[in-house]
Amino acid sequence: MRDVIVIGAGGGGPVVAKELAAKGLDVLLLEAGPRHENPREQWTSFEDDANNPLTGYFRLGPTDRSRPAWFREWSQNSFVWQLSGVGGTTQHFYGNYPRAYPGVFNDYSGADAGEYDKAHRFPFGYGEMVPYFEWVETTAPVMTAAMGRKEERFFRGCETLDLPVQTTKTTRGPSYRPQENAILQPGGTAGRTSDRNLLNYPQATGCTFCGYCFQGCMRPVGGPRNQYAKRSTDNSYVPMALTANVWATEGRAATLIADAYVTQVHAENRAGKLTATGVTWRENASGTEHREDAKVVVMAGGCTENPRLWLNSGLPNPNGWVGRGYTDHFFDWVFGVFDESVGNPKGVGSAARLDFPPYGGLENVGLPPALHAFAMNLSDSGIRGQYANGRGMTGEWDGPAGRVLGPELKDMVSGGLENILSVLVITDDDVEADNRVTRSALPADENGPIPKVHFRARQRTARTLRNREFMARKATELLRGAGAREVYRIDWAPLILHVQSSMRMGESEKDSVVDATGQSRAVRGLYIADNSALANGLGSPNPTLTTQALATRTAERIFQEHFGGLPWVRTESPVVSTDPRVSTRLAELGL
Amino acid sequence: MTSSQYLARRAFLARVGILGAAVGAGGLLPRAALAQPGNPLDDVVALLRPVLAKLATDTMNGLVVFVCPGPDEYSKAQGTPRGDPGALEADAARFLTEALDNFVPFPDELARPVTAALTTGLADAGIELPGLDALPNEVATLDKALGSLLRNDATIPLSLLIAGLLNLVATTVNPAAVNGPFVSPFARLSFDEKARAFEVIETPLASLVSTLDVQLPQPLSESVSGLLKFVGGALLEFAAFGSYGEYAVFDRETKQLTGRPVGWQLTGYQPDGPVEGWDEFIGYYQDRTEVQD
Repeated sequence: MRDVIVIGAGGGGPVVAKELAAKGLDVLLLEAGPRHENPREQWTSFEDDANNPLTGYFRLGPTDRSRPAWFREWSQNSFVWQLSGVGGTTQHFYGNYPRAYPGVFNDYSGADAGEYDKAHRFPFGYGEMVPYFEWVETTAPVMTAAMGRKEERFFRGCETLDLPVQTTKTTRGPSYRPQENAILQPGGTAGRTSDRNLLNYPQATGCTFCGYCFQGCMRPVGGPRNQYAKRSTDNSYVPMALTANVWATEGRAATLIADAYVTQVHAENRAGKLTATGVTWRENASGTEHREDAKVVVMAGGCTENPRLWLNSGLPNPNGWVGRGYTDHFFDWVFGVFDESVGNPKGVGSAARLDFPPYGGLENVGLPPALHAFAMNLSDSGIRGQYANGRGMTGEWDGPAGRVLGPELKDMVSGGLENILSVLVITDDDVEADNRVTRSALPADENGPIPKVHFRARQRTARTLRNREFMARKATELLRGAGAREVYRIDWAPLILHVQSSMRMGESEKDSVVDATGQSRAVRGLYIADNSALANGLGSPNPTLTTQALATRTAERIFQEHFGGLPWVRTESPVVSTDPRVSTRLAELGL
Repeated sequence: MTSSQYLARRAFLARVGILGAAVGAGGLLPRAALAQPGNPLDDVVALLRPVLAKLATDTMNGLVVFVCPGPDEYSKAQGTPRGDPGALEADAARFLTEALDNFVPFPDELARPVTAALTTGLADAGIELPGLDALPNEVATLDKALGSLLRNDATIPLSLLIAGLLNLVATTVNPAAVNGPFVSPFARLSFDEKARAFEVIETPLASLVSTLDVQLPQPLSESVSGLLKFVGGALLEFAAFGSYGEYAVFDRETKQLTGRPVGWQLTGYQPDGPVEGWDEFIGYYQDRTEVQD
């Protein structure tokens, strides 16, 4: 019997695995998708090879890429960008680690307190979270982002908006700043040359400004896995979990099994309380099933897969909130075309942001050509100049919102992708019961009934809709201020990429799945420790830091509640994930 | 089959593109194969299979140039010819077909009723199809062959179902599209008409769902309009991704490019090919390298 089984090696699961492995527990980490242990041989940085959602090495599917991806039902025009594989969606993320806004915690008393989603706050105060933020910020590590030209241009726009520069970790009000991101900053020749012969580790350290964040980070060349610039969990927490015996005094290396799809969480009545006892998983390649028991089971398969596994396991759902309250920051996409190069898409994918609590935020985003064309074609407003699909909002941007395709798209990029600055609109969206995951009526796959993701894109709360319009206008002002010749708004159909709160932690047992410790209300010993456990959409900041901080806190609670241990975050110092002991041990393991 | 049913069936086959592709002017099926009463059905089925594949390809060609036109006949036909390379040079139609047929695990429970609709569908009488009379009359044999093929082939390519949907909608937007160059009615539309077709798909009117005549069992029937909205969006997004990606020139064995991708040519991306990094680091904003609360 294991001490702990963690389901899912994405943004959250490896945090629990690493923390509890460091305390000497026997941890099994199961991942449904592939383990890319040798990215230099398995990856390429080409968009179709990497990001084709059906065939790419970053897709939702088994390791064997000749087999189909896993089909999920989306009952609307939308795109749910799930990834399987060790690292989960952090494999393609841009490494942004902003803290959640204080206004989404239950002790907030600022002047704008009434402007947030007050019904769905975190069941504790912001101050409670700060030590966990700090612990993760040191571990990852999180640093102030360097600038390329696209950031310089973004800031030029920000400077016209009469806003202060944020110079703290905590966001206290409308402001702009470089991202605090989990990217190792450029050192040596990195960022200072385009000559590939000069960009080998350790001559180059940290981010080389290659612009391939979305295709996976495997640079600088020759660096140990835990020295790659972008701190996806397959570069940070997973290596630490697998080497916990060498960097933690009482540590014990965690066991990782990939291509292993968990199909069932087992529970039984013990002392009058339903209690988790273990899991069954299935090897993707052979179909062989395995069952293993554990004292504690941690679900971390993501906002779409956790509800599926819960419901397929027949676990109780007394208040009906399993899968409900899914938040996605109701993204939109506004971009400017300039007469000169603004450096897109070189450098870190996104290294500048603007925060505007309690409405949302903006960040610049660098996109290579295929992803750019994809982004131009994901809209709920039809095709510009042709039809508006009942929407096609107008404003300070040029013309109606809608898809840019055909001759218009070609003309736009003919001046060069470098001349386009894209701004992601990140909405502070409300938790809503009807944005949810259910089990699809479509046929089951080999792992059981599949999930259906349902978003009421056009019928969100008045506050959510207001926030999105406000931030789209703010993005337009920013781009005009930066000198854009033309500004376009796409009105994205839901691009489900920042995902939160579908198994939410809450103050009330009436509308939450887990309690304030991260333990499920219905099943003792069953915890949720990824972004699905977040209480809400955080006010709009990118969710990874808060997810990992919460997962760290949950790991502490597990250690106290089930293993008689003491908390450590307030008394110990974290080890940084780039620690050379981790590098050395990875080399010994052939990783 | 009564005479009016026969006409409606004939109109349906014309609208999804099958009649024209098989036996229209420039049709791919030898007339003789259908005309000779003694010809075994299996022979017609064997002849029909490549016709349907061609119909799907032709429809995909018409689709991808809508998203990324180029110097080809399809772009010319939609009224937006370009001098620079486009979707066909990027092999985006094959990209889309391969993705649809091999990597979208389209559930049988959905494919079967859609296939049944193709096998038995009748076009509603409300739409005049000019030039339908010009199409030959050998529907009965063709229909039997189609029915046999759809019933017996293990997997119906999703690209064929999508092509049928696009062509059916195309003939709603412009009934004259049942005849003309190419074999796909959708490929015969102008750029504006193609946009109108997507408008119809994205606003799944009850009439479109009933025109498709897909009888899905409960509770799947509620999924149809959602699926149509999704399919409409996904076709455009994937066509765009395929047109601007490296698909046509990526060698999966060597993991190298064999030429410069169309998307890179169009956007000026990576003029000297893939990189390990760029000399793009220009410092820290206001020289601040660290923040604290």
